[in-house]
Amino acid sequence: MLFAWMLLIVVLALIACMFEDLESDVGSQSNPNSQVQLAPQVGQVNRFFNKAISGEAPAYAMYCTIAGVIAFVLLSKGAHPLLAIPIGAVVGEAVHVIFSVTAHVGRTAAQKRFEQPIYLDVLYGHLLPIATHGFMATLCITAIAYIQSNLGTLSGMSQLNHPFALPMLAFIWGITVGAIGSSTGDIHYGTEREFQDRPFGEGKRVVYHGKITRYAECGIRTQKDIVYFCAKYGGPITGLTFGLIILFENWRTLVGMMLGGYLPNIEAAAGNMAAIIGIVAGLAIGIALIVGNVVVVKWARKRYGPFVGE
Amino acid sequence: MEPILLIVCVLAGGVLASLGVHLLPVGGAPAAMGTATGVATGTVMLMLGAAMCGLFTASSVAAFSDNILLVSLSGGVGSWLMMGVTMLMANLLYVFGTGIVPVSGRVDVDPITGESQKEYRTPQCDGHGVPNVSYISGMMGALLGGFGGAIMYFGLLNYANFEPTMAGVAATGIFVSNAIIAAYNIGGTIEGFQDPKFKRLPKALLTCGVISLLCGVLVWVVANLGGLGGTM
Repeated sequence: MLFAWMLLIVVLALIACMFEDLESDVGSQSNPNSQVQLAPQVGQVNRFFNKAISGEAPAYAMYCTIAGVIAFVLLSKGAHPLLAIPIGAVVGEAVHVIFSVTAHVGRTAAQKRFEQPIYLDVLYGHLLPIATHGFMATLCITAIAYIQSNLGTLSGMSQLNHPFALPMLAFIWGITVGAIGSSTGDIHYGTEREFQDRPFGEGKRVVYHGKITRYAECGIRTQKDIVYFCAKYGGPITGLTFGLIILFENWRTLVGMMLGGYLPNIEAAAGNMAAIIGIVAGLAIGIALIVGNVVVVKWARKRYGPFVGE
Repeated sequence: MEPILLIVCVLAGGVLASLGVHLLPVGGAPAAMGTATGVATGTVMLMLGAAMCGLFTASSVAAFSDNILLVSLSGGVGSWLMMGVTMLMANLLYVFGTGIVPVSGRVDVDPITGESQKEYRTPQCDGHGVPNVSYISGMMGALLGGFGGAIMYFGLLNYANFEPTMAGVAATGIFVSNAIIAAYNIGGTIEGFQDPKFKRLPKALLTCGVISLLCGVLVWVVANLGGLGGTM
């Protein structure tokens, strides 16, 4: 039963991080937004949504913690989790949308001297995709926090409830999901989609900075043209990253508990052995990851070869 | 004895956090455009994301083990896994999503694998992707940083008798302040131990040591004043 809950958490994590990354693409948050911000200053007036409220990690920590606190309060008042968690996520997203409007309008208004207009259709048209993508991410994170803080009760062994309260778990996973979405998914948006009319297969040179691709497959590009492209590779692989992290973290702890003799009857004396097995399993997975990176780098060097452009 | 152990835990945690941050390959915004080597996010956010993963595992393990080394190592390994998966997936995106070879911008030869870097580098770029030397440096940094965060949590939980959630919040707070000091020292981007900026480390360690010492004393005072989870 514990493993079943763990796998449910992994699937939720995968969905959460995928939507988190896609939200950062549709709202243009985080690192690649520096180019959207820079574009009007180099004469590239654009129809991109410009929403850099803060780094993704603190932003998602805030939305998820708000959602977690609301859900926690509703649960403590006796509400059903199926009601409490979505209501929490809706409140988190309401805050998100407010920040999106102020961030976009404020930033774009500040670019008046570079003749960048505030397109109202861009503003209105992007709020719903931002809210829906963000809602999925916040909902899944709040659900993960709920399951983890009640894991023991749900699986029949109340000692296994996580010691942290639900809002703290939502905060932890909010920070982590933002950090991963920012560090992994941004690459597909920043390196590839933002500079699609530049040569493929090389780092984007400093002279290209700010000169983003402004025309879409049909018409002038907005953020909605970006999110469908990133949903093909950047989003899923970001989701996979968070899913794998949650899988490895929980799996090695659970396997340690099983093999160490701590479970299924909660033998307190076996706690240290369970921790040791968990640590060894984690180190082994980490070494496998290092080998994986060596293989990927080697493959890329052999397949692509040295730089041949100018 | 407990006040000394508490201060030692917080001090060790802060200094290790600072050391861990210096070892991470942080590319910041330029890395998101493939213009700099490293992971495409800010220093504090990356370290905090890794440390939070470690803190989660450490708090789970602290529920069934009271050995300080095992709890701290569990936290360290949690962070090490988070960084490992994140950097590997970032490389998969660079290689298969954008067709870029991971390469260092600061050294011409990878000090660990001996692979030549210079001819694979795009002109006007400070490297791109996460090469093997940065990957291993990042893994070591995450291990140390996660260990630091977890040892702080253990100290606050057992020697200051904080309630678990409160210990988590306080450990995160002290960790963030140390990570920010280290981030100032780095100034945006760093590739790992092979980067010339790594030589600035002693100043950051000293500053973080002083700040952590102050935090440790403050935590002890707060714990003794009561109201945060129990008696000493």
